[in-house]
Amino acid sequence: MNSILPALLFLVPFVAALLCVFVGRLSRGLVWWWTILTMAITAGLAVLGGIAVHSEGPIRVHMGGWAPPLGIEWALDFWGVLGVCMVAVVSLFTLAGTRESVRLELPGREISFYTCALLLVSGLMGMVLTADLFNLFVHMEITALSAYALVAAGGRGSARVAFNYLIMGSVGATLYLLGVGFLYSATGSLNMVDVGLRLAAGDQTLVMFGLSLIAVGLGVKMGLFPLHGWMPGAYSRTSTSSAALMTPIVTKVAAFVLIRILIHVFGLNVLPGVGTMLVILCWAGAAAMIFGGLLALVQSDFRRLLVYSSISQVGLVAIGVGLGNFDGVAGGLLHLVNDALMKGVLFLAAGLALVRFGVARVDDLGRLRGRAPWTAAAIAIAGLSLVGVPPLCGFFGKWYVLAGALDGRRWGLASAIVAGSVITAIYVFRFLEQLFFRAPSSQEERFEGPGLLVVACLALALGVIFFGLGSGHMVEWFIAPQLGLE
Amino acid sequence: MIEMTHNFYVLAAVFVPFAASLLILLSPKRWAEVWSWVAAILTLICVAMLPGTVLGGGAQPGWHLLSLVPGLALELRVDALGLTFGCLAAGLWVITTLYSGGYARADHMQNRPRYFASFAAAIGTAMGVAFSGNLLTFLLFYELLTVVTWPLVAHKETPEAIAGGRRYLVYTLLGGLALTVAVVWTWVLTGQLDFQPGGFLQGQPVVTSMVLFGLFMFGGGVKAAIMPAHAWLPAAMVAPTPVSALLHAVAVVKAGVFCCLRVLGFVFGPESLSHFSGTNIVLVFCATTIVAGSILALRQDHLKSRLAYSTVVHLSYIVLGAALMTPLATTGAILHMVNHGLTKITLFFCAGAIYGTTHLDRISQMRGLGRRMPWTFGMFAVASLSLTGIPGLCGFVSKLYLARGAIEAEAYVYLAVMIGASVLTAAYLLPVVWTGFFGKPEPGGEADKKGEASLAMVLPLIITAFLTLVFGMFPGAIGSQLALAREVAQQVFGGMP
Repeated sequence: MNSILPALLFLVPFVAALLCVFVGRLSRGLVWWWTILTMAITAGLAVLGGIAVHSEGPIRVHMGGWAPPLGIEWALDFWGVLGVCMVAVVSLFTLAGTRESVRLELPGREISFYTCALLLVSGLMGMVLTADLFNLFVHMEITALSAYALVAAGGRGSARVAFNYLIMGSVGATLYLLGVGFLYSATGSLNMVDVGLRLAAGDQTLVMFGLSLIAVGLGVKMGLFPLHGWMPGAYSRTSTSSAALMTPIVTKVAAFVLIRILIHVFGLNVLPGVGTMLVILCWAGAAAMIFGGLLALVQSDFRRLLVYSSISQVGLVAIGVGLGNFDGVAGGLLHLVNDALMKGVLFLAAGLALVRFGVARVDDLGRLRGRAPWTAAAIAIAGLSLVGVPPLCGFFGKWYVLAGALDGRRWGLASAIVAGSVITAIYVFRFLEQLFFRAPSSQEERFEGPGLLVVACLALALGVIFFGLGSGHMVEWFIAPQLGLE
Repeated sequence: MIEMTHNFYVLAAVFVPFAASLLILLSPKRWAEVWSWVAAILTLICVAMLPGTVLGGGAQPGWHLLSLVPGLALELRVDALGLTFGCLAAGLWVITTLYSGGYARADHMQNRPRYFASFAAAIGTAMGVAFSGNLLTFLLFYELLTVVTWPLVAHKETPEAIAGGRRYLVYTLLGGLALTVAVVWTWVLTGQLDFQPGGFLQGQPVVTSMVLFGLFMFGGGVKAAIMPAHAWLPAAMVAPTPVSALLHAVAVVKAGVFCCLRVLGFVFGPESLSHFSGTNIVLVFCATTIVAGSILALRQDHLKSRLAYSTVVHLSYIVLGAALMTPLATTGAILHMVNHGLTKITLFFCAGAIYGTTHLDRISQMRGLGRRMPWTFGMFAVASLSLTGIPGLCGFVSKLYLARGAIEAEAYVYLAVMIGASVLTAAYLLPVVWTGFFGKPEPGGEADKKGEASLAMVLPLIITAFLTLVFGMFPGAIGSQLALAREVAQQVFGGMP
């Protein structure tokens, strides 16, 4: 069973997506149950995989029995556990929570929504699991195509932003593919480990060109400043259900892949030129943190604010990876998962605010006051985690990245992290203040709901707390073993 | 010899208030006060069990909770310094709970569950600050303290209260961020964060030490309201009076002072501080704050603002003592942390009793009010005299130690500052008493009406005023606070003061 886990993690949601149409034919009401069942199984498998990897080490699968470097290899390694658990658990809760909002926002289109959602999840799983550069491209496309459809399914204006997303996303994917082509011509291989071994012998110009193209391509996909142009529109104009599903995980997985390629293929600092790339990555991350934060500060739309916040947090991840030392990379990986959890909570809550209360603007959030106390509590937890209040998980991401910057004596980057934290605190407390103090204390009835949405929101908020408290173990069990390269 | 039960008391002292906070939010409104009472008394009992163990034997009961960062745990550990702060917070919580109930009824307070829940959580974080065994745990509770006290500052939800809350957040979060950077940096440099008497940050280059020291002291100094980072404290006085009393005279600001004490004695230590002039800079800042704050206090007509500036002055007094880095001055600083807490809470209780009963908050309006509220103004007089440093009251004991410490350090300028500040303390506090008892009341004003504040408000302030007397007469009496303070000095400097 363990030996085929990596394949199952992809196949379960993929096959379920294909069968979704038939299930929908039987009864439209059944689709949600089908999706949740699938996601629950996937999440269960991901957790099982985590236990197996923790006790026995990485699980490798050779597709069709062809050994690498010829065949395609899939691997559930230590970092992979973090990746698949993040994707499976967060999307389980966001899909469970958005049941009512899908019904309200996309009436009659439930079947297509859940099919696309499951396809998206399977694509993301594949991106995390594959150890083959070209296979990665295939999964990136599966993800992207379902993502375009999910964005386009929103309300007014979503078709335009989806088209924008499609153009930018395709450019990103193409650049990535081109980069892989360069690497292939330099090394003659596509397997990540194998490419890594052959790099030194290959033509360095080709290798560096390939690396740059891959980095820019994935930079577009992960919304790294200044390549983030598609993100605010796509994620704030689409339906709240699509936004809640996609924003937390899609860009995070792209960032995850970038980290994996930089470290597993290029092995940090081994080749001259990678260092320059890392410096650029650092400063792009610093710019993302600061400008993303500043842009979040001036938004009046709550979801747009959250999207810019996501851009800013991905900046922190980029800084961590660009630092290239143990603490930096560990912090980057940790913060990916952190932000997925936090944004899961916040986008679910933003969806609830819009669907239930008609509140889209930050300044109107006070209307939830006293009427949705549980949701408000979840928002507060996720918000404080964003600010970096210990022991919530956001704090530890910052802790490691900051430690990495100070350890490497990169004072400029450390200052950028501090500045970014200040900006984050300002925009978070801006909406927390609205939520808890601003509105006239209305005596209106409690009006919380739909129940599932609130429960999902709270579950992810608990995740924010527990992942923070358990982050020491996460680093010890799943991040450090694979950072032995240092 | 540490017994298991003592470790359990430590854990309970920190987590009972948090549990109470959750229970208050989840139960019906009328339970809020009940839970506060239960938790306050339980916490006090737990803390009261500890001095016997900590004193003398050098045993440090504690609890190793979980690993937050590989090699770095969420760790509670009680030593003499932490226990002093813990006793202060837990002891005054019980009295404040009594007072809060009375004030809430007199003031017709809204949103009581949020108020009592935040209050309990704030005490929990203060206990956590007191009992943390390493810098990461300290940072964790220190930051949480900021967050849970924000709803208390902005409690009234008027534009003024929200602005006060904002200013409070800006200052304390910046301080917290500085502290975070300092802690991370210390971790990177030394690979350990456990508090050690005499410090563990030795042998760093002077520039690094200076910057780190600056970050640490900024982190502590913001909450300790050392100028120029003091502006949040007068602004935060828009909060309900019990909040000002407990949190802005005791828990929050004392957490800042406590941070400075920890950093000076247990992170850097006398040995490594003697290699660079960090403490001199702190001394200058503190002395400036004492002088400027006293002058500002003289000019306030709003009673709570005047008390707030008085707090600013006396906090710097404590940090000044700690930064002199002699055994006697450190003992005095720790004593003053407790004694100022007792005294200042009495003064705030009086201010709240006056406001709750008559809705007057300006000193100029209080002419003759002392005849209507003799207990309140009488206790105000006792506390004022204590803070001035009249022998027989507790303020004298700590000021005596501080003065002896200044002589020991041969810092006569700072001795002069301390004495001058005492005179100024009398100059800004005693006129309030004078106005109350001997001012000519306006005819038909509040002073002509009858009725002292309600018993729930008068009783706490009588208790705390009585305690200032007890600690003034017998400094070693309750909780052996003098012995605890001396033990800290002995730990840090090695040798009896």
